[in-house]
Amino acid sequence: MRAGFLGVISMAAVVSAAAGCNSQPTAAPGGSTPTAYRAPRTADGKPDLNGIWQALNSANFDLRPHAARPALSLMPAAGRSGVPGLVRATTVALPDPVVRPLGAVGGVPAGEGVVVGGEIPYQAWAATKREENAREWLKRDPEIKCFMPGIPRATYLPYPFQILQSTDKIVLAYEFAGATRTIHMDKVGDSPSPTWMGWSRGHWDGDTLVVQVTDFNDETWFDRAGDFHSDQLKVTERYTPQSPYHLTYEATIDDPKVFTRPWTIRMPLYRRVEPDKQLLEYKCVEFVEELMYGHLGVVDPATGQRNK
Amino acid sequence: MKHWRLLAGFVVAAASVSAQQPATGGWTQPKTPWGDPDLQGVWRYEASVPLERPAQMEGRAQLTDEEVAQRQKVENDQEGQRLAGAEGTAVGRGNLAQSPIRGNEYNSFWQDHGRPRQVFKQTSLVVEPEDGRIPYTPDAKKAEARAQARYGAGPYESFLDPDTGERCLTDGVTAMMWQGPNGGHNRIVQSPGYVTILHEEYLDRRVIPVDGRKPSGIRQWFGNAVGKWEGNTFVVETTNFIDRTNYEWAQIFTRPSETLRLTERYTRTGLDTMDYRITVEDPATFAKAWTAQIPIARLPNDTQIYEYACHEGNYAMTNLLAGGRADAAKRGR
Repeated sequence: MRAGFLGVISMAAVVSAAAGCNSQPTAAPGGSTPTAYRAPRTADGKPDLNGIWQALNSANFDLRPHAARPALSLMPAAGRSGVPGLVRATTVALPDPVVRPLGAVGGVPAGEGVVVGGEIPYQAWAATKREENAREWLKRDPEIKCFMPGIPRATYLPYPFQILQSTDKIVLAYEFAGATRTIHMDKVGDSPSPTWMGWSRGHWDGDTLVVQVTDFNDETWFDRAGDFHSDQLKVTERYTPQSPYHLTYEATIDDPKVFTRPWTIRMPLYRRVEPDKQLLEYKCVEFVEELMYGHLGVVDPATGQRNK
Repeated sequence: MKHWRLLAGFVVAAASVSAQQPATGGWTQPKTPWGDPDLQGVWRYEASVPLERPAQMEGRAQLTDEEVAQRQKVENDQEGQRLAGAEGTAVGRGNLAQSPIRGNEYNSFWQDHGRPRQVFKQTSLVVEPEDGRIPYTPDAKKAEARAQARYGAGPYESFLDPDTGERCLTDGVTAMMWQGPNGGHNRIVQSPGYVTILHEEYLDRRVIPVDGRKPSGIRQWFGNAVGKWEGNTFVVETTNFIDRTNYEWAQIFTRPSETLRLTERYTRTGLDTMDYRITVEDPATFAKAWTAQIPIARLPNDTQIYEYACHEGNYAMTNLLAGGRADAAKRGR
């Protein structure tokens, strides 16, 4: 799954395409994204990012370049035992029985990746843990439990989010789990405790909204591939308008407990242009109660039978 | 930690005249840079007025000035005790006998008033019908009595038995602006074409379009809210709620059904005061429409909404169900 040298090369091409229209200047890896586009202004003269936005990529499956695979949860292929039929058994891992009935719906689409440079610089112990997370995805991914997705993952979940831009505060309202965060453009005190969605302080750098996000807990993941962080995570986000219909999202991940150096993801976000598009509810707590608690009561609501 | 079940039992009560009067002291309604009335800030209900008029106040819409002064002194003294660390002091309640749910509500330890509750002249938030009582249907009255009887007593046989608050879903949009003493803050944020309300408890959120659009018609927990400005008053009509009357609700009046129509009127009356009114129509729960007039207060500028990660840390659910299993085993079931 790791990106080799070729992966890095292909990532560079992807990043330059993702940074805007091809005619525009190429992005400097890890740096800001030059752009000729000037965003419309709000009534108080700031770049206007209001709207409903959505990522259109497979970053939530895996931030790194990855080939398609049959399922998020796999079981090892059976050994070739000489039994007729198994001689030609697939060497590809097969979908775990619990997700197998989903068939092609449960597959993982390929993706060129969104990590600038292609590789996530894990410390050795953390690389091992990431692999373990990927194997135990079904048990461990907080998305499955409808937990708040954290930053930057909230941005590229396959759900829209809305930027509601006032003067002192900018609200980012995510459809998934109804998660919300407030970006403080004015002075604000510190967060009293670690959080799922972070503590966001913003400022303008030209047309770019820059957000410093701190005070995370260590519970959220970056994707469905087990990519994780610690409570030392700091994220610096940059939202740069590129046209009326898209912007470039960039997030630099700094977590000295888990990574050997800061690293950056970059992707376009697209405006949802449907007339009267609104965020709808995805109140998923209700969707996961049977999974999380069905076996814990006297009675299981799914069967109407007493639990053993 | 999740809900405020105290209103029905509040004895302390008073009437707000100030919330009904136009602004005084030279205050004028500020506008956003794009010209809408500016309601932004963090707001909460901090008054002691009970939702429904207590029996001993029958026939009286207002307290006397003496009663107001007397009750404000009680509130001030109680807040002093709480700040001095007297945890467990009931808020606005003399003793457990006054609790309709046997003292199972959250006591002052869970309630972060931080300053004394304000006493107003009105004896109930409900101002229509005139008796100050919610006009429940007979069935809804039974449902409410049942909910109160089982609160804290169970049985808790599956995750469907705790109320919606204990399940970290919501306590309902009807009471969102004025309930939740351990998370009753509401931040109003305006942007062109939208008014957004962030309620701390359960992370309840409403993004209300104010651009003339029609309701989407997609039924949701919080329905389809459509806002408009009438002068300086923000009027929100919400319909297309999802039917969740089969769930347990801490307070029956907050449960949504498909026939619920909620009309809200937000009128800022001063720098730190707002007259908030709701009119609730729903034949599934009420015999006729009722209106509540609710004075809410703006908190200091540096007040924040914090992250209420309820579902993520819902140990209460697993503990309740473990208790339910132990209870069933004890009773040999």
